[in-house]
Amino acid sequence: MNSKAPMLPISRRSLMLGSFALAAPALADTGLADTGLADTGRRIRFGLTPVFLNDDLELLQAIKAYLESATGFGIELVTRRTYQEVTALLVSGQLDAAWICGFPYVQYQSQLALIAVPEWNGKPLYQSYVIVHAERQAEAVADLRGDIHAYSDPDSNSGYLVTRALLLEEGGDPEGFFRKTLFTYAHRNVIRAVASGLAQSGSVDGYVWEVMQEIDPELVAKTRILRKSEWFGFPPVATSKALAESERIRALQQALLSSPQSVEGQAMLGLLRLTGFGRADPGLFDLVAKKVEAVQGA
Amino acid sequence: MSRWPLFRWMGRLPSTLRIPLLVILLMVVVSIVISERVLDRLSRTQESYLQGLASSYLDALASSISPSVLRKDSWEIFDTLERMTPKDAPVVPSETVVTDAAGLVLASDKPLLHPTLQPLPASYLARFQGPGVNLDTEAKRGYQARTISHQGQTIGTVYVVFDATSLLAERRQVLWALVGTNAILTALLAIIGFLVVRRMVRPMQVLQSHMEQAAAGDLRPVAAADFPRFNRDAQRMLSSFNSLVQAEEERKRLLRQLAQEERLASLGRLASGMAHEINNPLGGLLTATDTLEKHGARPEVRQQSLQLLRRGLLGIRDLVQTALALYRPERSGRRLARKDIEDLALLLNPELHRKAQRLSIEVTANPDDVSVLPAGPLRQAMMNLVLNASAASPSGSVIRLSIGSTREHLCVRVDDQGSGLPEAMRDLLTSKEPKGPPEGFSGLGLWVVRQIAQGLEAKIVVEEGRPKGSGIALLIPLASVETPDDAIPIAANRTA
Repeated sequence: MNSKAPMLPISRRSLMLGSFALAAPALADTGLADTGLADTGRRIRFGLTPVFLNDDLELLQAIKAYLESATGFGIELVTRRTYQEVTALLVSGQLDAAWICGFPYVQYQSQLALIAVPEWNGKPLYQSYVIVHAERQAEAVADLRGDIHAYSDPDSNSGYLVTRALLLEEGGDPEGFFRKTLFTYAHRNVIRAVASGLAQSGSVDGYVWEVMQEIDPELVAKTRILRKSEWFGFPPVATSKALAESERIRALQQALLSSPQSVEGQAMLGLLRLTGFGRADPGLFDLVAKKVEAVQGA
Repeated sequence: MSRWPLFRWMGRLPSTLRIPLLVILLMVVVSIVISERVLDRLSRTQESYLQGLASSYLDALASSISPSVLRKDSWEIFDTLERMTPKDAPVVPSETVVTDAAGLVLASDKPLLHPTLQPLPASYLARFQGPGVNLDTEAKRGYQARTISHQGQTIGTVYVVFDATSLLAERRQVLWALVGTNAILTALLAIIGFLVVRRMVRPMQVLQSHMEQAAAGDLRPVAAADFPRFNRDAQRMLSSFNSLVQAEEERKRLLRQLAQEERLASLGRLASGMAHEINNPLGGLLTATDTLEKHGARPEVRQQSLQLLRRGLLGIRDLVQTALALYRPERSGRRLARKDIEDLALLLNPELHRKAQRLSIEVTANPDDVSVLPAGPLRQAMMNLVLNASAASPSGSVIRLSIGSTREHLCVRVDDQGSGLPEAMRDLLTSKEPKGPPEGFSGLGLWVVRQIAQGLEAKIVVEEGRPKGSGIALLIPLASVETPDDAIPIAANRTA
């Protein structure tokens, strides 16, 4: 699993199979389950990825409740295990919108349009952290040679791309630097893998790590930050270009941008530890694009 | 009772303690056997339960992680291990390690203990030998391994360590529960046994105490207050004892009465003999008085008649004195003397004359030996033996009384010329256990002889004569008898 995962194109068949096989069981009992992708009348199909703690049911209910009241549309939250699956659904028009990572956005920028970018501590920026076990004797990324390293997702900027690019920048061989790499398919899982000792180091979303420190301080205390990256554009909420001007996307955009103004919106933002959503400038992801370029050009 | 010191010791205890102690011993043995069986069964059930649990867990785990093991996806395996580990089961896996086909750790739920991509130590692997669960009771852990196969090939192995603390704690609890329950039961049964046995044995103890008192000469019935209220067997037993006491008292009363009657009968016979003896000279005396009356004026007739009167009266005086001496023997406490033998002849002669019999007395004993013996009982014994011999012998017979001595004994022997001593009479004299007095007067005299012999520690020997008659001999030991000061030597042979 230490080779780069295949990207698009994804066949329609595998998408359909994936949508049935991987429907999140946790959502089945909460009224959040996928009720069928064909029914698109007054509904917004909103895809979610582990760029935030998307396995927190209370949080998912808060998002659904706020967006339904703010947009007037029924909200169907769709989660998938990997970024790749959600991106494929979005690009193929099977989702109206999705909260994706900057890395897939850059990759499919020509087909996607930005709706809003979350703001953390008032800024639409976040970092990637390289973390190690709290008791690990290491000062720099160079000390991690020969580690078992946990990545989040092969399509994650903070949980994969940034560290790969860093290893290239430091003249290392990204393939041979680590003894073994793991994909945990969630930033929370990267923290678990490093905290438990399964992996000696990991690449994690700085926003998730900080939020987890509040939610589960005991787990996070078993890890420490070895390196913080430069600031990147926060994972955006995007749609396909074809839907960008549709009524429901405009309603969704308005709901996100105006979330700090309502009690339900504040409740949602509180759970997400975000200050709000801002209008997105594609230039925000230029640094991500550079990293993609560096890694793909290597 | 036994060569075993424990049983010997217990044999000395009273029944009220011995039986409860036996109950305790029995219960302890039963408790040990039951506890051993229960714990053995429990441990087998637990091991079977642990085996079932381990198999279920391993089967589920192996099938869940098999694809991940095939891909060597350490995270997926780790995540599955964390999600599948039961938290609230009585027996929980404390450690699970998954290795690849080469034996390198792919993932463990304790990665810090078992680092990824490291081989497991040989000492650790040694705990998983064999197909089933290996239970280490000291470490309170169970160990089992299961290979993971895909398309017939081994692609990895799962090693599970179970925390068996709760199982072993359950065993301990069961053991303590057994020990506690058995201890309470044992104590209860011992107390009940003690109370029941004490109640059962109480009448026996009452009876034993009365028997001991009876042996010491104080035979008394059991008081009504000592009778058990509900134990019918014991009531019957004590009632029987009381009946026995009553019968014995009645027997003693009858015996006293019989002895009195016998004395009266003897007295009657003697009185009759004496009357005869007195009557004989009375005729001569009366004749002498007639002679004096008619011819008293003649000096020679008067003198002759007076002499006749004097002899006759002297004879009567002797007879009366003998009778007085004979029936006051205990009062005088005298020792045997020649005079006693002569008196005996004098007393018995009238009875013997009546049957035309004769008494032959032969004394060969050393006079010193004879004089140490008490006069009264011996005279009574000799008289009874001679009267018995007279009764058994036909008219015209000679009854022999011989008194001889050896260094140890004085031998008093009476021989008759009868048809032999009946078996019952012989028994009365020589049976090992002393007999009670015979029914009626028959043999009463011989029974008295036996009592006297017993009092003098004398032995009785009965010999059948040839061709007829029988002899009864009393062998009276001389050793323990002191020589009294007023001993009177006995003269040699005399024939009555």
